[in-house]
Amino acid sequence: MRELRYVGTDTVRPDAADKAAGRAYYIHDLSRPGMLWGKVKFAEHASARIKHIDTSRAERLPGVRAVITAYDTPELRIGFLRDNFALKRDRVRQFRDEVAAVAAIDPDIAAEAVELIRVEYEPLPAVFTPEEALAEGAPLVHERDADGRPVTSNLLPVQVHHESGDMAAGERASKYVVEGEFSTPLIQQACMGTAGCIAEMDTRGNLTMWAKTQIPFLAQKDFVRALEAMGLGGSNARVIVPALGGAFGTGLDTHAYEYIAILLAHRTGRPVKIVYDRREEFANLSPRQSARTRVVQGCDASGRLTFRKVEVLQDNGAYTSWGATYPTVMLIPATSLYKVPNVWFDAKLVYTNNTYAQAMRGYGNPEVTWPIECLLDELAEKVGIDPLEMRLINKNTPGEKTPMGLDITTCGLGECLEFAKQSLDWEAKHGKQRGKARGVGVASLVHVGGSGRIYRSDGGGVILKLDDFGNVNVSYGGVEMGQGLHAALTLGVAEALGVLPEKVCINQTDTATCPWDVGTHASRGAFIALNAAIRAADKARKKIFALASEIYASETQKSLAAHKKKNPGYEPPAYDFAAAARADNLELRDGQLFPKDAPNEPWLHIEIGKLLRALHFRGREGQMIVEEAFYEPPSTLPDWSKGVGNMSASYAYGVQAFEVEVDTETGDVKILKAVSAHDVGRVLNQQTLRGQVQGGLAQGIGYALYEEVKTHEGRVLNPSFTDYKIPTVHEMAFPVDIFFAETDDPAGPFGAKGVGEPGLVPTAPALANAIYDAVGIRIRDLPITPEKIVMALKAKKKG
Amino acid sequence: MSVTLSFEVNGEPARLSVEPHARLVDVLRGPLGLVGTKEGCSNGECGACTVLVDGRPVCSCLLPALEVEGKQVTTIEGLVGPGGKLSEVQQAFVDKGGIQCGFCSPGMILSAHALLEQNPSPSDADVRDALTGNLCRCTGYAQIVESVQLAASTKRQKKGADHA
Amino acid sequence: MPFDYHRPKTLEEAWRLADSDAEARFVAGGTDVMVRIREGKIAPRALIALSGISDLTRIDVGPPLVLGAGVRVAELQSHAGLGRALPVLGQAAAQLGSVQIRNVATLGGNLCNASPCADLAPPLLVHEARLRVASAMGTREVPLASFFVGPRASVLGPGEILSAVVVDAPAPNARAVFLKKGRVRMDIALASVAVLLETEGKHCVKARIAAGSLGPCPMRLAKTEAVLTGQALDDRGLALAREAAEQEVRPITDVRASADYRRHLAGALLERGIRALMNGAQP
Repeated sequence: MRELRYVGTDTVRPDAADKAAGRAYYIHDLSRPGMLWGKVKFAEHASARIKHIDTSRAERLPGVRAVITAYDTPELRIGFLRDNFALKRDRVRQFRDEVAAVAAIDPDIAAEAVELIRVEYEPLPAVFTPEEALAEGAPLVHERDADGRPVTSNLLPVQVHHESGDMAAGERASKYVVEGEFSTPLIQQACMGTAGCIAEMDTRGNLTMWAKTQIPFLAQKDFVRALEAMGLGGSNARVIVPALGGAFGTGLDTHAYEYIAILLAHRTGRPVKIVYDRREEFANLSPRQSARTRVVQGCDASGRLTFRKVEVLQDNGAYTSWGATYPTVMLIPATSLYKVPNVWFDAKLVYTNNTYAQAMRGYGNPEVTWPIECLLDELAEKVGIDPLEMRLINKNTPGEKTPMGLDITTCGLGECLEFAKQSLDWEAKHGKQRGKARGVGVASLVHVGGSGRIYRSDGGGVILKLDDFGNVNVSYGGVEMGQGLHAALTLGVAEALGVLPEKVCINQTDTATCPWDVGTHASRGAFIALNAAIRAADKARKKIFALASEIYASETQKSLAAHKKKNPGYEPPAYDFAAAARADNLELRDGQLFPKDAPNEPWLHIEIGKLLRALHFRGREGQMIVEEAFYEPPSTLPDWSKGVGNMSASYAYGVQAFEVEVDTETGDVKILKAVSAHDVGRVLNQQTLRGQVQGGLAQGIGYALYEEVKTHEGRVLNPSFTDYKIPTVHEMAFPVDIFFAETDDPAGPFGAKGVGEPGLVPTAPALANAIYDAVGIRIRDLPITPEKIVMALKAKKKG
Repeated sequence: MSVTLSFEVNGEPARLSVEPHARLVDVLRGPLGLVGTKEGCSNGECGACTVLVDGRPVCSCLLPALEVEGKQVTTIEGLVGPGGKLSEVQQAFVDKGGIQCGFCSPGMILSAHALLEQNPSPSDADVRDALTGNLCRCTGYAQIVESVQLAASTKRQKKGADHA
Repeated sequence: MPFDYHRPKTLEEAWRLADSDAEARFVAGGTDVMVRIREGKIAPRALIALSGISDLTRIDVGPPLVLGAGVRVAELQSHAGLGRALPVLGQAAAQLGSVQIRNVATLGGNLCNASPCADLAPPLLVHEARLRVASAMGTREVPLASFFVGPRASVLGPGEILSAVVVDAPAPNARAVFLKKGRVRMDIALASVAVLLETEGKHCVKARIAAGSLGPCPMRLAKTEAVLTGQALDDRGLALAREAAEQEVRPITDVRASADYRRHLAGALLERGIRALMNGAQP
């Protein structure tokens, strides 16, 4: 792997200093002249007919500038199935339905006005589980689809299915088979900065949205469609992304509150800001999709996997957002985690009157890796093989094409497993510490590493603009949400272009100035941005060298003459400038231009800013260095009904392993040591990559042991940090051994793969497997709480 | 009906008219324009709104503004020195990767600052105790704890150098 | 919702303010009251802050120990004299909330909020604390054991302020410990237990057990105490005590935990506490 100057270093993030000083400005901190505060009124029933909405008292409250409902605004359909509405009319189908909204001169008045809106409901029957929703005679959550056609079932017309190989043959070839039913709950993304936006219309009907979004361009498309529905066809929308207080998937869809802000801005003629408080965030923002899975796995006598069957049932809630597309990503571990010749996968989604779900980091992968990796340990036990050995036997290898059609170009799974084995002293510990209620456990992961194609274009562009001072401004349409995209992009541009990282500035994400990008998801930010930046940098270098060759000789000689004037004793060495100043003999490094055949002569260096000024003031045309490139990864949009297609340019494998000690009295799980080993292709920035791995680990531990959105008949019971517990600094007080396998992927920028999501994918099964090693019990429904452990230990004692 | 509130913020006197029910976070972020203090949960559970009152970390979302009458309040902006120079704690968070999205950072940094003022050589457990009330969703805390220990060591060295 | 905010300097001023507005409410640190106002559970027209009354913040190690109700929880953790006189109180204080909460919350606030989960109640219950309740009419003394009458309900009447908590010096050989189990480190207790023992060798001469989050109020476990008194603190004795505690507590199932698990925790924490004391664990 070639030596790099900046990529791979431990460099501080360019945005860290402002954030440390309290000078990063999030949506919460922004305001616009004349801005009003919006607030939403939510439904009070999970399922009801809206009989009447009385807004008169709210309208009369001094300081209120607008009150809107679905009855006095154009219908705005939202969501990829268009089954949702910005404001609800006639019916509410879940507790968080938006039935009205207010804009007022301050947030307290807006809140008071919302309380003054009276809605009369007629409660209707509701369904709260997929079983209830599919039962004979169950009330329909939607009676008609987006095109007005009658609907006859609560089953969604969204199918993800896969069959490969010969399942019957696979079953026949199996000496051992395990099966089980597992579940994962609703999880809250719990960003520290809550959701919010500012909507502002200009005098010609164009919209500017400051949005907490990860999809500025797809959001722009959605908002333009909304403007059309509002009678503003031809209007444009501009999406600007401020500093984000985390996102983790919450910004991958457009939300009702955003459309409501637009409607209020249009109605009042003033900018309108809506920000969710923490309670609204917990109760009314779409959480992570829950899942119930049934998995069957078999292997032959030597432990080689023979088949895998994965059935998924998802409670889709009352409307459809990206939770419904988790099965597309579930296909990845189902078909491609370990070598499995025969795979069957099917997912069913069912409407209910519960909350509906959106994207969250991992996007279905943790939901299915959970049962697969727990059962793999059970299978290993049946065979009588060590579970880590079982994984080594079945590990994926470079050059493989999996049943889903994924091209595994590079694969560091083996190295990661070996690292985990060493780090935890696996052989000495596994199966040997039950007397102390200690155990070790492991689980692997596979995820997309070269973006994930879920849209017709999976590309993104970069524009590099060099100025007269040698600064490089970079425009990229993806978003920095804390993951360190700007840090990686800064180093990538510095490396590819040949300038110092301090001279690189990443511009704010703004659809008006940045090139198109599909969105920052699928761990794709750095992968796409750097690939585009490398191509743009290449163009820029060619242009720089071509132009420089015209003036290099004269500029250098001018400098030498000036220097001699100041130092009369100075004699410049002889040098053949004509020969040197060929475009193919020039190099740019650290912002200095010099001839390749004489790199170490300082008097032959020209600083890039000086060169660009010389080019600018020559008085001829075409002297700017502004270069663009659009990068589209070499992947295919899968046929989801067959579950086949190489959806990513590369795949990131990894392993997590834990040593735990279980307190058999209280059920507490104490993590003694963690290992997180990842095939990253190439480390782009040491600090931010470690940060992604550590942060993912904490979210994985929350998912495994502590977190659950609890609901009862559609109502969220724990809408606050009081009862939705995310790990504090104490829950993460154990050593973490991090390993990066640098497999140098050909599709990756400098060989890198995206690693934003893998950090939380295998955590739950690795912990569950460690708990089993420690105390001999298995929990199949997350989270693995102390209560569940105590109850399981009691049951084990009795039985 | 407004009431006058006089206190000191970041070393400067402040005298304002506030509503009696105003919280300290409202006064800081509103009329004083100190938006570095963030509101994360409004319940005193996440610590994003942490400021120092007479050197002690408190959740400004729970504190009635009138409670700081005559007291000294320090916000994240107050840790920045002349010319925009970051304090040792702020710089350590930058250097050690203790900041990702940054929303928890002002509160986290102030809690760490208060700890080090009181305990210049904290153990790992001391650091974690001091930061219990500061939630972070991005970092997993490892680089945060490293940042605090780096700041502690930088400060100790500086003090040693000053005395030398 | 807007409210007035008064900061009297003396108790007399506080009583006058309370007397002039029936819808005014006393507040100490505010860490409970401000949350409940925000959640819309209460909507007082005015708050009478007790934080400015210096009389309420004194600590007199005595004996008897007299703690002003306005003492901040952080000071309960850090005060050296208190650490010697009643170490278990500092132990409980250290597990209450976070640094930020402890810098503002008060001893009196934690007790008067009368939550069944109040962390400071069990350690004071096992030390048979007495409360001084003051009003314009004078001061009365209420045993802490009679102070709580239900979830968020105490015997405080209108115009009454808890002014101090009084604890007689424990016997020289008495030792106490407080254990709390939450879901993560900063949490409301799923269950908490305070144990005070006077032992002669491995024999228990006197036991005081108090439980939090295990009934409608923080409560003494009199039956469990009876089982322990005179009991040998061997495995069998501990098992009997554990069973008694599991029978005596009255936990509920809520969003945090099931009654069964809480009942189990009552026994587990009790046993753990007794063993800790027997091993000479210092709180």
